[in-house]
Amino acid sequence: MKRSGPLFTLLAGLLFALVMLSLNATTGTRGTSAGNDTSSDAVSAGPATASPTDPAAGPSGSPKGKPSASPGPSRTAVPNGDYAGRTDDDSSAIAITLRDGKAVAYFCDGRDQESWLKGDVEADGGMRLTGEKGEVLTGDLAGRRITGSVDMGERDYGFTADRAVKPSGLYRATANVRGAKLDGGWIVLQDGRQVGILRRDGKPSEAPRIDPATGAVTVDGKRLTARPVTP
Amino acid sequence: MTVDPNAATQGFRPPDPASGPGAARYLVPALVAGAVAVGLGVYGNTHDPQGTAFNLAGFSSTSAVKSWLATAAIGFAVVQVVSALMLYGRLPGPGWSGTLHRWSGRIAFLLAVPVAVHCLYALGYQTYEPRVLWHSLLGCFFFGAFSAKMLLLRSERLPGWLLPVVGGLVLSVLTVVWLTSALWFFRTFGVTT
Repeated sequence: MKRSGPLFTLLAGLLFALVMLSLNATTGTRGTSAGNDTSSDAVSAGPATASPTDPAAGPSGSPKGKPSASPGPSRTAVPNGDYAGRTDDDSSAIAITLRDGKAVAYFCDGRDQESWLKGDVEADGGMRLTGEKGEVLTGDLAGRRITGSVDMGERDYGFTADRAVKPSGLYRATANVRGAKLDGGWIVLQDGRQVGILRRDGKPSEAPRIDPATGAVTVDGKRLTARPVTP
Repeated sequence: MTVDPNAATQGFRPPDPASGPGAARYLVPALVAGAVAVGLGVYGNTHDPQGTAFNLAGFSSTSAVKSWLATAAIGFAVVQVVSALMLYGRLPGPGWSGTLHRWSGRIAFLLAVPVAVHCLYALGYQTYEPRVLWHSLLGCFFFGAFSAKMLLLRSERLPGWLLPVVGGLVLSVLTVVWLTSALWFFRTFGVTT
């Protein structure tokens, strides 16, 4: 006589897991869209899809139509805020800015490795942000802190980023100086330290300090203003 | 002891386990355990982490939900030890301690399943720091060891020491998995919901 109870226990667990997985795959809108979404360009991929432009054509076309598709009421559950911190190995800094369910993050080691990442924040505080070269940041907002990891391709970095108030946070400046294209990113940490990279025509180097109060920074003799970054 | 090279292919659901040879009683649970643990690890490693999966009303974040589910599972695991000691006569216990052991184990297992689903689906198998590495490794190992324990229960005439050892292993692994996740969460974020 075989006892079948243990087998039922295992099968129940397996069934439960499969049900949960299928729920995740169907309800997690990001699970299907973000994976195939190749438009991870650093600028403005999101708003185009978030705000449908068809209402202008809609009212006359379809009487019952879709009065309010309202794709993102649940996203407003995550409060806006700025977060900054360091990777677990203390080699790099990370800053994340949350605005209206969207997030922009900057990973920077202060020398030659950096990445801008964008994506949506779920109502539960989970986020998956992607960079132009396939970098992926997964993070989880809990309380006043985001923890997670960044896959930079060569390796993963765990990080913890705490709530940051101005002047701490994420700054960026772009300009053309004597024909050279400048692009700088800065993370101002809570203790006042700065981590930044300045690219001159794509060539990275350590960025000069900005004045956190005004964002002013002098690069190659020209005065620029670094501005807070929002998604 | 000779190992039948064909045994592996029929390892998942032996058609006639009752009359199986002695070695199969250990081989089948061991193979299933290995397949479960490795399978979970491979899925967690190859699946692209999705960052989030689900949330429950009343909790601030998915991590909080998971931490409390895992803590509840640990609570039932403690009941497991006590009821197992009763079954083996090391502690005085009521006649229904067998039922208590079975159902507390089932509840603990079913509490751990959604946590693992979220871990593997949303976060994946990660190695970026020792705590995370051990959690990933032992999290996969736990479900393998648990499967082995369940399958061993179906066999009769096992050596007396085997079930306590495997059960103790399952409990120890679950404890480390909890220490490296839920306890870390409560220490980092405070005991919040």
